[in-house]
Amino acid sequence: MQQTSTRRSVLRIAVGLMLVAALLLSACGSGSGGGTAGSETPGAQGPNPASERGNHLVVAQAQDPGNWDPIDTFFVAWASVTNNVFEGLVFRGPDLKLQPGLATEWKWIDEDTLQFKLRQGVTFHNGEPFNADAVVFTFERLLGEEGAKGPQQGNYASIDRVEKVDDYTVNFHMKTKDPVILTKLAGYGAVIVPPRYLKEHGDEYFDKHPVGTGPYKVVEYKQDDHIILERFADYWRGQPKIEKITYRFIPEEATRIAELTTGRVDIAVISPSQVDNVKNSAFLEIVTADSPTVYGLRFDVSKAPVDDVRVRRAIAQAIDAQAIIDTILKGYGKRISTFQSSLSFGNDPSLEPYPYDPEAAKKLLQEAGVQPGTKLTLSYIGTATVFGEIAQAVQSYLKNVGLEVELKTYETNTFYNDIIPNAQAGHLYQEGWGGWTLDFDNTAYLLYGKGQFWNPTFYDEEVQRLLEAERSTYDQDKRLEIFKQLDRRLYELVPTVPLYQDVTVWAVNRRVQDFVPPPDTRYWFFETSIASDQ
Amino acid sequence: MWRYVLRRLTGAVVVLFLTTLFVAYAVRLSGDPTVAMFQGGSAPTPDQLAQMRAALGIDRPFWQQYTDFVVGAVQGDMGTSFRTGQPVWAMIVERLPATVMLAVSAMAVAIMISFPLGVAAALRRGQWVDSFSRLLSLFGLSFPNFWLAIMFMLIFAVRLGWFPPSGFDGWRSLVLPAVTLGIILSATLVRLVRSSMLEVLGQPYIETARAKGVPEWRVVVAHGLRNALIPTVTFVGLQFGALLGGTVILEKVFAWPGLGQLALDAVGYRDYPVVQGVVTVLAAVTVLTNLLVDLSYGLLDPRVKVEGGASS
Repeated sequence: MQQTSTRRSVLRIAVGLMLVAALLLSACGSGSGGGTAGSETPGAQGPNPASERGNHLVVAQAQDPGNWDPIDTFFVAWASVTNNVFEGLVFRGPDLKLQPGLATEWKWIDEDTLQFKLRQGVTFHNGEPFNADAVVFTFERLLGEEGAKGPQQGNYASIDRVEKVDDYTVNFHMKTKDPVILTKLAGYGAVIVPPRYLKEHGDEYFDKHPVGTGPYKVVEYKQDDHIILERFADYWRGQPKIEKITYRFIPEEATRIAELTTGRVDIAVISPSQVDNVKNSAFLEIVTADSPTVYGLRFDVSKAPVDDVRVRRAIAQAIDAQAIIDTILKGYGKRISTFQSSLSFGNDPSLEPYPYDPEAAKKLLQEAGVQPGTKLTLSYIGTATVFGEIAQAVQSYLKNVGLEVELKTYETNTFYNDIIPNAQAGHLYQEGWGGWTLDFDNTAYLLYGKGQFWNPTFYDEEVQRLLEAERSTYDQDKRLEIFKQLDRRLYELVPTVPLYQDVTVWAVNRRVQDFVPPPDTRYWFFETSIASDQ
Repeated sequence: MWRYVLRRLTGAVVVLFLTTLFVAYAVRLSGDPTVAMFQGGSAPTPDQLAQMRAALGIDRPFWQQYTDFVVGAVQGDMGTSFRTGQPVWAMIVERLPATVMLAVSAMAVAIMISFPLGVAAALRRGQWVDSFSRLLSLFGLSFPNFWLAIMFMLIFAVRLGWFPPSGFDGWRSLVLPAVTLGIILSATLVRLVRSSMLEVLGQPYIETARAKGVPEWRVVVAHGLRNALIPTVTFVGLQFGALLGGTVILEKVFAWPGLGQLALDAVGYRDYPVVQGVVTVLAAVTVLTNLLVDLSYGLLDPRVKVEGGASS
């Protein structure tokens, strides 16, 4: 008895070990043999395993925002889900253009008053009507005590109060000028919430059971596991094509890829290094979009020798950003001249990035009196693996021009919340920025304005003047002119070495039709459908 | 017996008190939760931060916050999560079953592997079973559990399609994480079973039993294994507490919605109440398992009297 059970368990383990060995061997084989082993994977060919699921879409993402209340969050992971659940007065779809949402039209009735005409016949998922009272309630909540507990309030600080004119008209009275206000009203804290529902159930309940006016309603949520949406029959634009959408929260990328290749997930963002793995699968395809997120290296301009603009320029010219994009990012990146994406309002496409020129860099360093072998520190987030590789590349590029770079890593929150604001990140540090308003204002003001949280040391009188000027007018032509001057000034001062604009890569199951990749990953599945014959 | 239990329980309360005090203080040293909420978005103004701190009640002195926590916890209220706005207690209760399920099944897998294998290795010392058990140990100890988890996922979920790669959906999704963790645990356990068995088998009473004509399987199981169990049970008991906290990596790889993931996220977001709550619960479970382990000695070996154990 004892003996047989021992033998059985031995057998079981032996089989396991052999399988591991087989896998290791096949992995080696595919490395040298050009990927033949990969194509033998069951499921790589043959029927699409996801088709069993029918009209049910599954999306995987790394993070669960943990809280669905619009005023409590700043995570893109929140917007990726709730863009289908909540709506704002203004709508910004995957093409990033502003268009009527819950408001049908708007106009400035005087310098400080923005008037909205509201859409009639719209209901919340709980059956409650949408009207001026809901809008007033939403903004009183956002700008009041409840909003003070969350991070969204500050975004809307330019609004003084919202006034009901009649059931379908509201006036926004502005406290300060805010040229980006319409974009802001399209998302996050400004999406409209149901007053009666919130009064009945309270904020704590709302966090887990959100209700909006969007095409999909939330039917089930299990934290850090999944959230399930079902189409909302009374949606004002009509019926969405997909019946049910599940978002699964899977923190590990290797796991997300495994789920994609077994057909249990239809859509997920992947990193460029995984593209080849996904291409092995016959029923997955790669879709990309230029992202608003940019990456670069920021200088702490209070530290010698990078307090000298010549040194900063030299470093910008010593790094071959195009080579970094081609190799580390496998081409999934775009060069940028200032720290904003090409999608951002305020970007000047005529400005060329500094060319890669190590000789010119050496000369500039010599002019600035920087001795060869001078030591610099570069810090970044330890878990950012792609940026880790970039940091190493930068280290070797700078070695070429005689600078010794020491790499230092930090935990994400410590890095953003303690190290950067307290100017402890060293000479150079990682900087990434999303710029959700797609307007340079958001980025430029917070990163280069005097006394801003994430700008501990940089200050330039001219930059400050331009920042104030762009905020004090609603005239977009004038603002663009100001931004162009600002771009030029920042380009010359090089407070940041802009490395690249991200290109977001998705792996998408081929059965998914009309999926428009949203550059800001705020999915909009209203138009998307699922082919039944795939 | 009851006096002993009572004394141990008092000790447990002191341990819990010290643990929570340390954790509450340490998590506050790690950074400001209000700032963490702005990660990757807009930047906060100092006024806004001050307002949020006041709203969350973390602008008050540490001793006041800690007293509130203890008074609340005693009444069964562990506060509200900064990130999710949910009661911490409810969050833990929701997650605990997933982690316990994983820990118990991993332990079962480890026992199923290491007991038969360890006993066989001791009986057939120097033969292939013994070498094989050593190989398994080496395998379990030298591969990081993270790597092992991904390998198993690639083989059994992606290649063979036997189990779902991740998630929490029925017994089939339990298999891969439980087996991975179980194999890692058996690496140590199998050696321990083997050496305790060897020690016991060398005792005179084994010879006596054999001389009396007791069948060999009875000698091994009733006389040998039973006595070899004491050090093993201690190990299993201690491991169980560590297991609950140690499933973190595997919970992440297998997207398993347990306490480990909750704790990891909470530390990341500086969600003080959640960190405090999870640590308190894990500490309580660990202390209780240790107590149960000590009490179980008496059942396994009549020579061990709990009163005697306490006075020594």
